[in-house]
Amino acid sequence: MLNATLPGPDRARLGFVALVLAYALLVAACAATLAAAGDLSLGRQPWDNLLRSLAEFSRPSFLDAWFGPERLEYRSDDGTLLRVENRREVEAAWLAGLGRATWVTFQIATLGTLGAAVLALPLAVLAARNLHAPWPLAVAARRLLDALRAVHTLVFGLVLVGIVGLGPTAGILAIALHSAGTLGKLFAESIESLDRGAVQAVRATGATPLQVFFQAVWPAVLPQAVSHHLYVWEFNIRDSTILGLIGAGGLGLLISEAVSLFQWGRLATLIIVVIALVVAFDALSRRIRTALA
Amino acid sequence: MKSPTVKPPVVLMEDVVVRAGGRTLLAVEHFAVHAGERVALVGANGAGKSTLLALLAALALPGAQVQGRVQVLGRRVDAPQALSRAQWRAWRAEVGVLMQGLHLVPRLSALDNVLVGALARPGLPAWRSWARLYPAALRAEALQALAGLGLAAQAGQRTERLSGGERQKVAVARLALQRAPLLLADEPTAALDPASTALVLAELRHLAEAATLISVVHDAALLPALAERVVGLAGGRIVFDRPRAVLDAEQLRGLYDPRLDLVAAN
Repeated sequence: MLNATLPGPDRARLGFVALVLAYALLVAACAATLAAAGDLSLGRQPWDNLLRSLAEFSRPSFLDAWFGPERLEYRSDDGTLLRVENRREVEAAWLAGLGRATWVTFQIATLGTLGAAVLALPLAVLAARNLHAPWPLAVAARRLLDALRAVHTLVFGLVLVGIVGLGPTAGILAIALHSAGTLGKLFAESIESLDRGAVQAVRATGATPLQVFFQAVWPAVLPQAVSHHLYVWEFNIRDSTILGLIGAGGLGLLISEAVSLFQWGRLATLIIVVIALVVAFDALSRRIRTALA
Repeated sequence: MKSPTVKPPVVLMEDVVVRAGGRTLLAVEHFAVHAGERVALVGANGAGKSTLLALLAALALPGAQVQGRVQVLGRRVDAPQALSRAQWRAWRAEVGVLMQGLHLVPRLSALDNVLVGALARPGLPAWRSWARLYPAALRAEALQALAGLGLAAQAGQRTERLSGGERQKVAVARLALQRAPLLLADEPTAALDPASTALVLAELRHLAEAATLISVVHDAALLPALAERVVGLAGGRIVFDRPRAVLDAEQLRGLYDPRLDLVAAN
């Protein structure tokens, strides 16, 4: 009753206040229930742990390959010499493995994204509203794209590791399936943004269907499709660094190893590599995408 | 006035009725245009001018039913199934259309958009048109068409970065490259300033020397440049059809009288 008498903008403002109140209630409920269950704690010695981790983090392990001790002795409590290792050699070998893992991560992201594009293209053509595909097919394609997008790459990965076994193949397929959902939606949107007036104008000059495609459809859709592909590729390079956590190959395996063994120095090296890889590829991809726009 | 010729008229409409949603958009008993004529269609908004032009251009009229006979350049265009796809294309190449709804292709340069007009030329290899690698002579022709309209400097610009007036001029240059024997122009100077209007009118007049021109005109001042014959439409019907020389201003004004719609509707 009250709402009906208020003018539009006032009603909208009232609605916004109600929305903010509902959000505040939700946040309070989340925090209160966690605190009541005793799960809102920072552990027993957060400060000590933080300082210890930081100290090790500040000395990334790759430095050992050049500056590490050449003769590191492991002794038992009574002083017996157990083992001697050359830290430089050990670290150099680990770095070589890291290089291979980085390459695997890049391979997973690249092939996975390409697979996603191949899967996405026919689905996008069916899903694009302006192409008027038969409606059962169009609805099926749209729902399938929604479903693929809803399931996270890691979940696909867990399932696929069980099917195709451990290794990069599972990672590639996981990325292809999840990203097909994202790319399919983006492709469909770029097809939908096609200028029908331009298509009609080219057709009106007596052009053949292939000429219409190459003159009016291709120049509009191709740069967008390439740009979307690069964007998802970029995203997948980030995503594939953690796929190894579930045994799908690449850097993630080394990350989980380093964490399990509390080797913070190695974790620091790994994080540096991940950052360098992602930042470098982002910069390159962004440059190409701006050039295409 | 015109002596009967052996050649069939370029445009022939007989007992044409176009209806959409219970409304009659157009009802023309007889309308013929002969080769080389320059005809202007005048009338108020909703009088049926654009419907008539769309019918002649065989453009889709959404939700409309067409009855009667429409013949353009010797082909029936009221019955889509009568012509094969290749025949339709050949026919479209012979009808040059200048309309608000026929956009330029975004992302392509002005020059490439002008070259779209030449896609149906018989000598052009298909692969060249797909890759947009046109012969030098054709490119020179397109550049010349742009230069004639004062757009030589903008030839390499993408069309979405051109102003509305510049776009209209690119569309006119595209029309020039099509070399169509029948030209249909819907308010060809609507978006243009006086200087550009003069340029576009001159170009259209030049094109009409080798073609038949039918244009929709709102501004009576443009009639002398575009037509020798003026056809007045109101409520979908032809109210008068006479040489421009004997047309008086009263007749033209009467066309925009709101009472006329009622007369025509009955």
